[in-house]
Amino acid sequence: MTSTQSTTDSLPRRIATRLRTGGKIYGILGLLVMICAYTAIASDRFLLVGNVENLVHRTALFGILSIGAALVIITGGIDLSIGSVVCLVGVLLPYLLVEHQWSVPVAVTTVLALSLGVGLVHGLLVTKLRLQPFVVTLCGLLFYRGLARGITNDQSQGFGLEFKGLRSIATGRLPIFGEAEGAFHLPATTLVLIIFAIVAAVFLNKTIYGRYLLALGNNPEAAKYSGINTDRMVLLAYAVCSTLAGFGGMLFVLDINAAQPSDFGNFYELYAIAAAVLGGCSLRGGEGSILGVVIGAAVMVVLSNTINLVHPKYQNIEFAIIGAVILAGAIVDELVRRWLAVRRAARQSEKP
Amino acid sequence: MARWTSILVFPLLLALVAGCGSQPQAGDASQPADVVPKLAFISNGVADFWTIAEQGATKAGKDLGVDVTVVMPNGMTDQTRKVEDLLTRGIDGIAISPIDSENQIDILNKAASETILITHDSDAPNSNRVMYIGMDNYLAGLMCGELVRKGLPDGGKVMILIGRADQDNAKGRRQGCIDGILGRDPDSSRNDPLGEVLTSEDGKYIVLGTLTDQFDRAKGKANAEDTLTRHPDIAAMVGLFTYNPPLAMEAIDRAGKLGKIKVIAFDEADAVLQGIKDGTVVGTVVQDPYEYGYQSIRVLNELVKENTAVVPPSKFIDIPARVIDQSNVDAFWEDLKEKTGRK
Repeated sequence: MTSTQSTTDSLPRRIATRLRTGGKIYGILGLLVMICAYTAIASDRFLLVGNVENLVHRTALFGILSIGAALVIITGGIDLSIGSVVCLVGVLLPYLLVEHQWSVPVAVTTVLALSLGVGLVHGLLVTKLRLQPFVVTLCGLLFYRGLARGITNDQSQGFGLEFKGLRSIATGRLPIFGEAEGAFHLPATTLVLIIFAIVAAVFLNKTIYGRYLLALGNNPEAAKYSGINTDRMVLLAYAVCSTLAGFGGMLFVLDINAAQPSDFGNFYELYAIAAAVLGGCSLRGGEGSILGVVIGAAVMVVLSNTINLVHPKYQNIEFAIIGAVILAGAIVDELVRRWLAVRRAARQSEKP
Repeated sequence: MARWTSILVFPLLLALVAGCGSQPQAGDASQPADVVPKLAFISNGVADFWTIAEQGATKAGKDLGVDVTVVMPNGMTDQTRKVEDLLTRGIDGIAISPIDSENQIDILNKAASETILITHDSDAPNSNRVMYIGMDNYLAGLMCGELVRKGLPDGGKVMILIGRADQDNAKGRRQGCIDGILGRDPDSSRNDPLGEVLTSEDGKYIVLGTLTDQFDRAKGKANAEDTLTRHPDIAAMVGLFTYNPPLAMEAIDRAGKLGKIKVIAFDEADAVLQGIKDGTVVGTVVQDPYEYGYQSIRVLNELVKENTAVVPPSKFIDIPARVIDQSNVDAFWEDLKEKTGRK
């Protein structure tokens, strides 16, 4: 094969890849729309402006965590410590601001630097010491939770009535469609998510480093031998993931106003991973789309809202419903893709 | 390409259906629903205690002909979300046991501004809630501490087991219990660190510390077992959340020391009541979760009918704690079985 052929080859292949990941987005988008349609039909309150604001706000909080999880998953890794980092930052921020009277810039910088440090440590342990990501971040899950509880002596940490200005980062509603009472106000967190999502999507799809990340997840050995500094990319993924977890934790505590070290952020890593997988990331690495991940986060947020609005008597089986719907979505997605692959193969074999 | 287009169009069609389906509903669906008041009873977690409260709330709903939704949230974030969604759904009244009243002021006041809000079990005095139904946890804790002294007339080492030490009712209850055991002058503003060993002035009673388990029963049992391992000379264990004393009893039983190491309980788990009958549990301090549930719904229903006379000037309906020991356990248990429909 000559070099000219290989470049012409790569265009259809790129289109094929586009369609493959794009197809996943339509799948998850279809699931989201179906759940929304069901809820809207069953409850006349679902499409109220206030509820939609709540939903995009909650999606933003989980979406930020999920983007981080997605980047790590794309490299073929996993980060189980997200929920505990959320907790650590969530209790440390009010702890430093209220208990220790630190100034806002110093406290915020400290907790974000701490999250970055956590991610760098994970990345170094995974790349330099060759420890398995599962083990490293599982220990992180336990360690940061224990640390948060130890530092605060198990007492919940909150802002009380203070720090309204800082809290508006998470509680603010931007009147982009006018100041009117019933108009949709964009939650500030959603703006943050949009910015993060665009940066992540551009990075992943439009920069050479994003290509490296995907290549590395697809085949680490091949990526390495083609001259990519794979260690640096893995390090970057873990650093970004933990920093986003820390940023998310900050937004969560600013939103909720307090964090209990014992259960704040419990299981959030699993929500983030589920959103990433729902959104088209393969746990084997090498695939993923940021938009899909954000929609994946929205699916879980809306499902919980559906149960609260339509089936409030069945709240105690919320996890079972979420689990069943996600599983059903994954099964349908897989079946549709197999069916499409069979059709495509059949069509290609028909050609002379 | 056509296939991809159809995949793209399908969700859009659904969205259209959703849009059409919901619009006409918005006007007429709310009217029949308004006839029956919709009330919510929100706990601070999942436990047997709340199941009994649920029975009370449900019974009140049946007696009064109102629609009652019982919500048992999973932590503070979940509790806040559940309140938001109840407000979205449209609710005529909410009775809540706030997990952290000081820091949940915003959401509590939001609820108070959009519907009728009362607190039960744990109060939020600084919020705009209409009133509080419950008991003084510090005083109940003191009663528990006095039971410890009664069970250990010669003194001894005591470990306190509790689900969580970071919610308001737990703080008061735990501190009351410690102050009761040590025989201090009552002062609910104290807050002893969890791990600190505290000794009474006469040196007879030693509180070894407080162990928490975050509602994780396996952890709760491990806490009790590890206490026995570490302190073989322990004289008593106090369990301050419903499920703590039965776990302590199991651990003590496995160590073959049931009856020798005293158990002092809070709430009315079956194992505890049987233990009181058998003499392995000194006694228990019981709240009345059934009444929390029943009275919450009754009061909310009156408030929906704008009968404000139901609110006492103190804005507090006291459902006091009681001490259950061998003298009254039988009568109490019969009454409990009746209330929970297990008879």
